[in-house]
Amino acid sequence: MRKQFKKIIQLTTLSSLLVLTACGGNEPAGDQDAQTEGGAVKADIGVVSYISGPGAAYGEAITNGLKLAQEEINSNGEVEINLVVEDSAGKQDQALTAAQKLMNSENVTAIIGPTLSTEMNVVGPEADINGVPIMGTSTTAEGIPQIGEYVFRNSLPEALAIPAAIDKAMEKYDAKKVAILYGNDDVFTKSGFDTMKAAAEEKGLEILTIETFQKGQSDYNAQLTKIKGLNPDLILASALYNEGAVIMGQARKMGIDVPFVGGNGFNSPEVINIAGDAANGLIVATPWYGEKDDQKVQDFVTKYEEEYGKKPDQFAAQAYDALYIMAEALKNAGEADRDAVRDALAEIQGFNGILGEFSFDEEGDVVMEPTVLVIEGGAFKVFE
Amino acid sequence: MLAELINPYYLQVASFVLINIILGISIYITLSTGQLSLASAGFMGIGAYTSALLTLNFDLPIIVGVLAGTLMAGLFGVIIGIPTLRLKGVYLAIVTLGFGEVIRVIFVNWESLTKGAVGLSGIPHMGREILKTLKGFGFDPQVLGLQNNQFIFMTIFLLLLFITIGIIQFFRRQNSSRVGRAFAAIKLDEQAAESMGINITYYKVLAFAQGALVAGFAGTLFAHVLAYISPADFAYHRAVEILIFAVFGGSEVIWGPVFGALFLTVMPEVLRFISEYRYMIYGLVIIIMMAVRPQGLIDVNIINWIKTKVGKRGQKHGTSNTKNL
Amino acid sequence: MLIEQLINGITLGSIYAIVALGFTLVFGVLGIINMAHGEIFMFGAFIGVVVTASFQGPLWLAFLAAIAVTAVMGYLLERFALRPLRSKQGVSHLAPLISTIGVSIFLENLSHHLFGAGNHPFRASFAEISFQIGSITVYLVQIVIFVISILLMYSLSFWLGKTKAGKALRATAENLETASLLGVDVKRTITMTVIIASAMGGIAGILVGMAFNSVTPQMGLSIGLKGLAIIILGGMGNVKGAMVGGLILGLAETFIVVYGDSGYKDAIAFAAIIIILLIRPQGLFGQKISA
Repeated sequence: MRKQFKKIIQLTTLSSLLVLTACGGNEPAGDQDAQTEGGAVKADIGVVSYISGPGAAYGEAITNGLKLAQEEINSNGEVEINLVVEDSAGKQDQALTAAQKLMNSENVTAIIGPTLSTEMNVVGPEADINGVPIMGTSTTAEGIPQIGEYVFRNSLPEALAIPAAIDKAMEKYDAKKVAILYGNDDVFTKSGFDTMKAAAEEKGLEILTIETFQKGQSDYNAQLTKIKGLNPDLILASALYNEGAVIMGQARKMGIDVPFVGGNGFNSPEVINIAGDAANGLIVATPWYGEKDDQKVQDFVTKYEEEYGKKPDQFAAQAYDALYIMAEALKNAGEADRDAVRDALAEIQGFNGILGEFSFDEEGDVVMEPTVLVIEGGAFKVFE
Repeated sequence: MLAELINPYYLQVASFVLINIILGISIYITLSTGQLSLASAGFMGIGAYTSALLTLNFDLPIIVGVLAGTLMAGLFGVIIGIPTLRLKGVYLAIVTLGFGEVIRVIFVNWESLTKGAVGLSGIPHMGREILKTLKGFGFDPQVLGLQNNQFIFMTIFLLLLFITIGIIQFFRRQNSSRVGRAFAAIKLDEQAAESMGINITYYKVLAFAQGALVAGFAGTLFAHVLAYISPADFAYHRAVEILIFAVFGGSEVIWGPVFGALFLTVMPEVLRFISEYRYMIYGLVIIIMMAVRPQGLIDVNIINWIKTKVGKRGQKHGTSNTKNL
Repeated sequence: MLIEQLINGITLGSIYAIVALGFTLVFGVLGIINMAHGEIFMFGAFIGVVVTASFQGPLWLAFLAAIAVTAVMGYLLERFALRPLRSKQGVSHLAPLISTIGVSIFLENLSHHLFGAGNHPFRASFAEISFQIGSITVYLVQIVIFVISILLMYSLSFWLGKTKAGKALRATAENLETASLLGVDVKRTITMTVIIASAMGGIAGILVGMAFNSVTPQMGLSIGLKGLAIIILGGMGNVKGAMVGGLILGLAETFIVVYGDSGYKDAIAFAAIIIILLIRPQGLFGQKISA
């Protein structure tokens, strides 16, 4: 019996040792390998992004945006950023291990990402304990920057975007009755729905029905037929653009012609690609408007299109701005020190990026004016 | 020196390895009576949600939550086990698959309790709570030359290691007991086992419930290590992942799923570039294993071979050891 | 509204039925649950998208291409995931189930890499043709789907019951060795079954693409699990049961949206699996099986 136990102990220590050595590349845990040299602040910035799996499109846009910003920043010469990108596959546990790797093995100064709010819920507290500043570029759910003082975001939260869009749509169409449709098995669309419902109730809209759909579903006819029968003035839809576009297509096909109000996830040029003319009448509030008459914005769009062959969406734009904000903080901090960068980030006010004027509030949340857009004649236009 | 070696990243990976090992064992137990249950992910979810909700809403200590979650999963195991055991083979696999999905749909829709797809955040974290308690006694990890987070992950790792060893040991003993022999007899030939006077219903429900219990236990650990859970964590893909531990490692001996979980959790970390193709590789692994080596990499023969190797060496040492004793 | 919902339910149900027919064919002959059927269905839909959208090909070509590709996939599935298990002695009856789970995971993730994670529109002018009956709009696609599902069901029953190949198939289903002694080319029969079942999956895929204008890598899993529920509901290996089971599920899913909570739509299929197997394991139309 004792012998057996001994064997087990041996085996387990062996296997755990194996794990430790297998993880390999045990770099000396030297504090900061980035120093100030000849004026340029050098820093390693970790990126945790959703690169593989069903949401890989988001991760792709985000890393594209970051890389574009990195090139420009580094060629400017004031700050030299090295990006260390890790995949989270959209899963919390993988996001956490990726972040641990970045914080403890790669010794990054700060982290950008992860992509999903669920992942941030897990990674944020850990980064906060370790004292590593972390900034989400696409985490729009409630309560993200409130996780801790090292947690920031530059993505427009749903709580700002959705009410703004509903307000404008109500005004224009004199809407009284709405139907709500959302994906209930996805954290992004579910939290978008929570905000949507709260906003609709607060504004005194009558909610005729609340319908749900699930991932992988391609037939929305049952829900839409029901909604059609109730004759709403507006349809509030918390959906990702992939599903949202299909929903609009099927709705228009069965003769529902009222406008749709969408959340952050619905806002993408892809909606027009997928749904075609059926996309007309989609109203979204967004921090990002690619047609804006602004040199910075247009330069970004051209460069992005040249580099990656498609138009940038808000995920790319937010990531692009995020790295610039990070660079600004590094410049102001003057060194690649985690605490100094955190303090410099917290002080950022009136930063002028491609998303417009941007500030952090005292909690590290976003202060900015969203633009409300509508799809008309197959293109996003400012909604007046 | 010690402080530099203790890298939270490695400890984190090691902790997930251990949780996955426990999950692998859960499917192994039910398989040891020849039943394939795909409900492990569902039971894991029941354990995780029970424990998380109790500790979040009633401020109960983690240990109480863990116990309650484990028992709750076990209870469901018995409730589901008794009627489903009339079903054999593929039918059982499909019912358990359906059960897992129903559980997930309930988590998604019971919003007042589970917050739906948004999930539960701020679940008390095992390591942080331990540190808090110890600090209450005036302990400071600096004494050991460790940072707070190093200490946190160190304790989690050691705790999980201890638990995993305990579980493996328990089932190893059970295997060589009356229960284990009954399981093996049922797996080999149900009718023959019955005619020999083995109460097959009892043993099949026992195996099923044990599997549920262990999966639920792993779920509670998962909840308190990650501090955040959502229904998506317990979906079909998780069930398949757990299945792969046993298919790849082997389901004849307990070391099979242990090895499977260890290898398949560490591999994508070491070969990060593989990570993108992880599930494609998983799929191929299953197909190839089933065609070439359906009993999994580690089977009885391998264990015997290792035993004789280790045994020989052990004998040599053994003689000198007895002198010393 | 009610009639429109009825049409919605029947359309959805007919698609489920075609998927379930593929499942039931393989189960009836081989006693194997083909977990990869949903993914083959999804590939059929994607081939449709590729032909019509990327190459601007006509619809009939899309159909042919989808059938051809899924048939080849069926052959590969049989050749690499099922046949090696058959020749082995003492392999557990669970092995083919696990093996096809492997194929489904592989195909699902392969499609992420091949086609991207996004939703692909399926543009066919054919899908726009509609009739106005009173206040109700009926699309031609909806009728076509219903008709195809009925046709497939009848031709399958006829083929199994009346033709020589069908008889060989049933003999194989009865007993592999005896059939082979009686001169049935078992290997060929089995391969053909899997190929035909897969091609039916491909047809269903392209019909879904046309009807709902949406094709994603995730749709395979979702519809595959439902097909599974249907064959259990209708009785494993029962052709008419698959058809009726499909219609029941389609209508049930539609009417829970109308009268109940759409959040529990997905649970119907799985709850049905559990209840049916516990109360009437042979399914609604199955004969009593002596286990």
